[in-house]
Amino acid sequence: MTAQPILSAHNLTRDFRVGKRTIRAVDDISFDVQKGECLAIVGESGSGKSTVANMILGIHPPTSGTLSFHGEELPVKRTLLHREKIQLVQQNPLSSLNPRRSIAASLRLALDVHKHGTRGERPQMVQKLLEEVGLDPSFANRSPSALSGGQRQRVAIARALACQSEVVVLDEPTSALDVLVQARILRLLDDLRTMHGLTFIFITHDLSVVRNIADRVAVFQYGKLVELADTEALFENPTEEYTRSLISAVPVVSTEEVELRGRLSKTEAADGGVESPGA
Amino acid sequence: MSADLALSIRNLALSFKSWSGTSQVLHGIDLEIKRGERVALVGESGSGKSVTARIILGTLHELKSARISGEVWVAGREMSSLSQSERQALRGTDISMIFQDPTTALNPVYTIRQQFHEVLMRGDPKISLSTAEQRSADILREVSITDTERVLESYPFQLSGGMNQRVMIGMALINEPQLLLADEPGTALDVTVQAQTLRLMRDLVRQHGTSVLFISHNLGVVREFADRIYVIYKGRIVETGPAASIFDDPRHAYTKALLAAIPRLTGGGIPEIQEDSEAFFDPMVTHEDVSA
Ligand SMILES: Nc1ncnc2c1ncn2[C@@H]1O[C@H](COP(=O)(O)OP(=O)(O)OP(=O)(O)O)[C@@H](O)[C@H]1O
Ligand SMILES: Nc1ncnc2c1ncn2[C@@H]1O[C@H](COP(=O)(O)OP(=O)(O)OP(=O)(O)O)[C@@H](O)[C@H]1O
Ligand SMILES: [Mg+2]
Ligand SMILES: [Mg+2]
Repeated sequence: MTAQPILSAHNLTRDFRVGKRTIRAVDDISFDVQKGECLAIVGESGSGKSTVANMILGIHPPTSGTLSFHGEELPVKRTLLHREKIQLVQQNPLSSLNPRRSIAASLRLALDVHKHGTRGERPQMVQKLLEEVGLDPSFANRSPSALSGGQRQRVAIARALACQSEVVVLDEPTSALDVLVQARILRLLDDLRTMHGLTFIFITHDLSVVRNIADRVAVFQYGKLVELADTEALFENPTEEYTRSLISAVPVVSTEEVELRGRLSKTEAADGGVESPGA
Repeated sequence: MSADLALSIRNLALSFKSWSGTSQVLHGIDLEIKRGERVALVGESGSGKSVTARIILGTLHELKSARISGEVWVAGREMSSLSQSERQALRGTDISMIFQDPTTALNPVYTIRQQFHEVLMRGDPKISLSTAEQRSADILREVSITDTERVLESYPFQLSGGMNQRVMIGMALINEPQLLLADEPGTALDVTVQAQTLRLMRDLVRQHGTSVLFISHNLGVVREFADRIYVIYKGRIVETGPAASIFDDPRHAYTKALLAAIPRLTGGGIPEIQEDSEAFFDPMVTHEDVSA
């Protein structure tokens, strides 16, 4: 990994004030992301994953620390180019879609803003995007509230694809989907990644998905990066106790998976058997 | 309806009217939950799970474009025969719902403390501020939120996705409802917190005989939590039976395809998916309930 990373975080820290108190949501986190890779971020709820995503997007400035893109420091005020090159698919798609705009209008707006295609081509590009995420063209004129949770999520993914981005941050992109549609979307994302050389930062609680899509995994706990490793190594041989307890708590469906959990929790039981840290 | 049924749905159909025509969403479903039973509704995204829950809760009746037919019996009452205010009175007390998207269920302009107070007053209009405070903090601790003081004084935007989801779970459980509709209650939770919320729901079932309709795409969780399963595809129930029996011996083509698509913790890549097949529309399969 000697190549210039496409994105790096250097000592990122972010504080929030709530009432009279200050909480440290992200605490001195550093990592590199290589072009074309899929880096998963997993970890406790409230451990700072979405806050890191928001800092990468420039939605919140870091309290301290910096981010760089292609080796250049990202300014607090992002240019349109940055906003085009780094895209976010949000955790709650309903809050990120304009309720008064139809699905087609939202996608069209993304194409307009970033000037993709000619005016004449754009209606067709919208249809093509809907098709790519497996939504029937009849959905085009609906408002977001007339869609199911999973259908909305697919619109959010389509919108990120509409901008020809380089880095896409996906915050729980497939947890609202049934596993059949999920597999289709994951394959689509994987194909797009290879075809367009996209880079993904994939935030999720679903470790079974992580195992099958990520190249590397970053584990967060209490705002800190506690472990960062290649996917295979992390699942077969996690070094951190917390990672071990996460993997061995995943609800599974097959005997091989139960065995994997068993292997990990056995070593865990030897050091006292941790259940839920922070509980 | 027999006395041990907490919920009974008969031939429920739903369509939405719009200027461009009518779209049929539910094609006549039957579904039952016994007292103290945990039943999962799983299936395709967009197949009609959330709308079913919203019909049971009585909120979809208020949407002008919705056409609902069939019967929904909750605790001996047929929902469409009730007035809007009678339905409202059941909500948050006898029936409560954990919504798929916390941002739609929580009010952005009130603190979590104010919202808990309002929910508690539905169960006990004369509840004191200090009791409300105490009970809110207690339930938050039960959903693994230790920093209760901070969370209570926060607005939803100041909390993470999973914290909001846990707040909502707490609100749904705090009045010990008889029927709990849990729509994707764990999507934003890490696995250890998710396990804790499932334990909490199990306790509620055990201590109060609560019945749960559990909607989830996470089939690993469903396998651990549910007694019985209904599989739904495009507004039709395609397979139903005890959870173990469905997982060990899926018989409907759609259920088979669904189970084959589960990504594995042991790896092996993203599962290969075949195109939707005509066989997904095959008639419903019912597994014998050997325990009954
Ligand atoms: N705008 C804000 N104001 C105050 N506190 C905030 C704000 N945004 C986030 N926080 C706090 O920062 C911490 C980290 O939140 P974040 O949303 O990054 O967590 P997360 O890892 O994405 O969790 P989840 O898995 O539940 O989505 C939490 O304690 C949260 O309450
Ligand atoms: N207000 C509405 N107007 C028109 N159609 C609607 C409306 N609400 C929902 N629908 C449609 O009804 C169908 C069922 O929606 P529902 O939300 O019940 O799906 P779901 O099974 O919960 O899916 P998911 O798993 O994605 O949450 C979907 O095709 C959706 O687009
Ligand atoms: Mg988050
Ligand atoms: Mg739904």
